Amino acid sequence: MKRFIRLYTKLSAQYLKTLLEYRTDFIIGLIAFFFIQGFGIAFLFMVFQNIPNLNGWSFYEVLFIYGFANLPRALDHLVTDNLWILAGRIIVRGEFDKYLLRPMNPLFYLFADRFQPDAFGELIVGILLVVTALTKLSLHIGLIEIVGFIIAVLAGAVIYTSIKLIFASLAFWMKRSQSILFVAYQMANFTKYPMTIYNKVINIFLTFIIPFAFTAFIPASWLLGRESFAYGVLATCGVAAVFFAGGYALWNAGLKSYESAGN
Amino acid sequence: MIEVRDIIKDFSSVKRQPGLMGSIKTLFSREYTHKRAVDHMSFSVDRGEVVGYIGPNGAGKSTTIKMMTGILVPTSGNIQVDGITPYEQRQKNAMNIGVVFGQRTQLWWDLPVRETFSILKEIYNVNDADYKKRMSFLGEVLELEPFLATPVRSLSLGQRMRADLAAAMIHNPKVLYLDEPTIGLDVVVKENVRQAIKQLNAEFNTTVILTTHDLSDIEELCKRIIIIDNGRKVYDGTLAEIKSRFGTMRRLELKVKNPYAFKAEPLRAKYGLSGDELSCEVVDGQLNIELDRNRIGIQEVINEVLAKTELVDMSLFETKIEEIIKKIYRNEVNME
Repeated sequence: MKRFIRLYTKLSAQYLKTLLEYRTDFIIGLIAFFFIQGFGIAFLFMVFQNIPNLNGWSFYEVLFIYGFANLPRALDHLVTDNLWILAGRIIVRGEFDKYLLRPMNPLFYLFADRFQPDAFGELIVGILLVVTALTKLSLHIGLIEIVGFIIAVLAGAVIYTSIKLIFASLAFWMKRSQSILFVAYQMANFTKYPMTIYNKVINIFLTFIIPFAFTAFIPASWLLGRESFAYGVLATCGVAAVFFAGGYALWNAGLKSYESAGN
Repeated sequence: MIEVRDIIKDFSSVKRQPGLMGSIKTLFSREYTHKRAVDHMSFSVDRGEVVGYIGPNGAGKSTTIKMMTGILVPTSGNIQVDGITPYEQRQKNAMNIGVVFGQRTQLWWDLPVRETFSILKEIYNVNDADYKKRMSFLGEVLELEPFLATPVRSLSLGQRMRADLAAAMIHNPKVLYLDEPTIGLDVVVKENVRQAIKQLNAEFNTTVILTTHDLSDIEELCKRIIIIDNGRKVYDGTLAEIKSRFGTMRRLELKVKNPYAFKAEPLRAKYGLSGDELSCEVVDGQLNIELDRNRIGIQEVINEVLAKTELVDMSLFETKIEEIIKKIYRNEVNME
């Protein structure tokens, strides 16, 4: 474990240095990033101020779910961004060779090789929205809620990673799977809102097939006192464990089928 | 050190049709073509050997190396490298091997060369004393010092190759795989890289497996060569053996009035020679004759030429090893 942390730090530091190598690009990126996040928040408040009540959910409850949804998404985004590139380029060009030639778990190396600083923006926006909503909602926040909240966010991040891992691993057979990964990832957007506004099919699909509901709506509903602890937190952990095991098994099968690329 | 036993590697791909309509059809068809890249390959390599692994493009060289390094899983057969099956215990195997792909660098592209070494030190858990010792040795042999602070993307090809070699050696691997390490280099840099490989092998007793298209690499570095074609092994032995078997081959290059007047067949029939032992071709109006000196005298051949046409100029060469190996590729000579 200590070795993992040391290697992760080292590889991330190298990646940060790489980003800093291209200073102009980095600074422009940074400025653009704050603009985008700023506009994003402004837009959200504008929209929500016009919808005071959504299917029995108050404005601040909706805001809370929306903010909560950002947190697991941001954590996953920060660490596993390389899965996008795996699905788009790394396998088809044979660049995956290098991940198999080092004495490290290839998935760990893939994650450690790159991080996505944009994720900090999502994280900040998420925390801002959650805190704003909490100050307006009179919820009971005890130790169980705080611990449950942290666990649910982490488990939610694992669910994100697992779903991405499943669709990115398809590239071992399809060579490129970025489009299908994109479609799957976009479905997460449905779960930022109170899901009672959708019909049954969408609910079942997002709960059992591609379970993004567990990354936002379901655990957030528990904190809002509308779901049980068992469903909001324990089920979230269960789904995370099952999907990660499945994703990792598919990834391992993919490694065996990897065909590299000719010279 | 390395045991390769009866390995086969098949690649399957969806059958593609030409053109845009073809591409659309391909999208819905499930017709596969199977290509056998490596076909019942077996060999073993001892510790400290330097083996040249050669063959024409697409012969299966890289595929074999990728299986030995653990990147690819063989369709059938078995490989052991220092007692480890590389594609099953990748991480354990990775500690034992160093890999250089001539066409693709393994250095951190955007960072100074020095950074790559510091990160590899962490990855391979090299202790400070060993790291210092190896860095100073590699730095000297490969002359790294002048460009350690240069970002990899700004290196010349020769510098990059030297840095890649050093990066593959920093954990003192037991086996070094070099896939076309001299590709694209000029003559002087090529010579540097070869000298470095020689010294590394001598210093650390590293086993080296080398693929190349440049046979002077082989002549200088490898006692033993394995030649493959179409995924099959066609020769496994010493370079000296090839030389002694074909060392009596000579090449006559003749400028004559009418190069087409001479024909090899009558002489072959007269002396009972095979196509290997006497052949001729006309290149740019010049008559080139290859002959086995043990089977037919040079004088007989020249007499025959003089009887047919008028001689302007001539030179005599030992057949180059490259020519011989090309013939082996083309199955023009029998290796049994």
